[in-house]
Amino acid sequence: MAFPLRTPLRKTSGRTISAATATCLALGVAVWATLAYAAETQIFDPKTHKWVKYDRKKARSYYAAHKQVPEAFRMQVVPFKTAEKPGTIIIDGNQHFLYLVQPGFTAIRYGIGVGREGFGWAGIVRVGRTAEWPTWTPPAEMVARDPNAAKWASGQPGGPDNPLGARALYLYQGDQDTIYRIHGTPEPWTIGLDVSSGCIRMNNDDITDLHSRINVGAKVIVLMQGASLYKGV
Amino acid sequence: MVRTIALKLSAAALLLPLFYGASLASDLVVGMPNWPSGQASANIIKYGIEKKLGLKVEVQEMGTLIIFAGLDTGEVDVHPEVWRPNFDSLVTKYVDEKKTVRLSPKQVAATQGICTTRETADKYGIKDIADLSDPKKTAVLDTDGDGKGEMWIGATTWSSTTIERIRAESYGYAKTVKLLEAPEDVAMAAVDAAAATNTPIAFYCYSPHHVFDLHEIVPLTEPAYDAAKWKVVLPSDDPTNWLSKSSAPVAWPPSYFNIGFSSKLAERLPKVASFLSNIDFTPKEITEMSYALQVERQDPAKYAQQWIAEHEDRLNAWSK
Repeated sequence: MAFPLRTPLRKTSGRTISAATATCLALGVAVWATLAYAAETQIFDPKTHKWVKYDRKKARSYYAAHKQVPEAFRMQVVPFKTAEKPGTIIIDGNQHFLYLVQPGFTAIRYGIGVGREGFGWAGIVRVGRTAEWPTWTPPAEMVARDPNAAKWASGQPGGPDNPLGARALYLYQGDQDTIYRIHGTPEPWTIGLDVSSGCIRMNNDDITDLHSRINVGAKVIVLMQGASLYKGV
Repeated sequence: MVRTIALKLSAAALLLPLFYGASLASDLVVGMPNWPSGQASANIIKYGIEKKLGLKVEVQEMGTLIIFAGLDTGEVDVHPEVWRPNFDSLVTKYVDEKKTVRLSPKQVAATQGICTTRETADKYGIKDIADLSDPKKTAVLDTDGDGKGEMWIGATTWSSTTIERIRAESYGYAKTVKLLEAPEDVAMAAVDAAAATNTPIAFYCYSPHHVFDLHEIVPLTEPAYDAAKWKVVLPSDDPTNWLSKSSAPVAWPPSYFNIGFSSKLAERLPKVASFLSNIDFTPKEITEMSYALQVERQDPAKYAQQWIAEHEDRLNAWSK
C-alpha cells in the first residue's frame, strides 16, 4: 500500500528548544542557526483519498498496526538525478528524507525524523567519525530537570534503549565536531515526524544500513528546510 | 556563472608560488579557473595548440584575478572564459586602459535569471517573474511552514547575488519571497530533491550550466533588459544605501564570455593569438563540457583529448 506524503504549511508555536537541541545549537559552530518554524507531515489515505495529518498519535497507531512506518518512509531505491558523486548524503528535512547517492542517477532514500524546530541549520558538512551502539550522555540542562536523564549523567551505554540507537554518524565541519549526528532511535514510529532532538534520527535498521554503506569523510548536504536560517532580506 | 572574487583570490594566493615556478618549461601557460567548463576549455586549448601548432602548453589552475595579473605581465598567456558583465572591471582595467590583455572577437552567449522546473511552471503556474509577486503562487515554495515561499538567489560571495537582491526589490517579490543565500551545491541538491519528488522550486540560474541537461529547467520570462532602467549601485560603492539607490526591474543585460590572452603573447606568438581568436565554442558545447566534468566526473585532460580527437574539423578551422 503506497502512502505518498507531503509537508504542507504550518506555523509552529515557538522557539522552545529542547535541552538536547540546545546543546547541539550551542556547540554547533556557525553553519546557520536558529529556527522558528517546522513543517508538518501529511500522508495520503488511499481509502478516503484525502491527505491526513501524520502526527505523533497517528504515527504510533500506524506503527502498532503495521509494525513499520508508512511506505514513503521505508528504505527504498529511487530515481535521483544529481551532480553529487555516489556516497554523498543529502538530507531533506522538509520532506523527512535522507538520500544516499548511488551510481546511475539513483539514490537510496530513507525516512528520517528531525528536530521539533526542524534540523536547526543547513549547509555542507562531512561524516567525521562513526560509532556502533554509541554511548549517550545527556546535556547538563537535561540532567538538571529530568530524573530519567540524571541517572545517565555520566553516560548511558549503547543498547536498544539508548536514544542514539544502533549507530551514529558524527557530522564535522572541517576538523570540528558540529555536535550534530545522524543516529538511530529506539522509537521507530517517530520517523517522518518533527520530534525533539535537534539531530537526524532514523530507525535502527536504516541507520545500520546507511552506516555500512558510507565512508568516513562522506559529504553531507543539509537542504533548506528551515530556510529562515539563511540570510534573508 | 558569477564567480567570486574572494574565492579566486584565496585560491590564487595558494597557487601563486607554483605558478611562478612552473612556467619555464613550457611555451605558454593557460590559466585554468575552478569551474567545469573553464577547466575543459583550458585543456582543449592546450591540446589543440600542441597538436596544431607544435608548442608545449602548460595548464595551471588559478583564480581570475591572478590570471589577469599574469596576462598583464605576460607570465600567463590565456584565460579561457572571461565572463561579462561579471568581470567588466578587469576588462576595463587591463583591456581598455592598460591594453595588456586582448579578448577574442568570438563570444559565447550566456544567460542569468530565475528558473523553475517544468513541474513548477506547468502545475503551479510560476512562469513569469511577475508570478513571484503573487503570494498565493509563491506559497507553494514554502519549506519552513511560515506560509511564505523561499528562493535561492546565489552564494553569499557572488557578485550576482547582490544584483539578484536588487532585482527582487525592484520587481517587488522581495516582499512575497524569502531570498536565500547558500553555497551552490546546497541549492543544486535542493533542485535535485525537488525534481525527484515533484516538489515546486524556484532559484537563480545561469547558463551554460549542467543543471539544464540534468533536469528540465524553465527560465522565467521577464521584461527585456533596458539600460535606462538598470541602475545598480554595489555595496562596495555605497555600503549603506546601495539597495535603496538601486533599481533593476528588468532582465539581466546580455551575458557572454570570451577567451582572453596577453598582448605580449600576440606579439610573441601571433599564430597562437590567431588560433585563440578563431575558437568558436557554442553554448551547447559549453554545457556539454560542464555536464561531462561535473556530472559524469570525467577528467578534464582526458575529456579534452577526446574532444580534440573528435573535432579535427574545428581545429583545422581554428588553425587557418
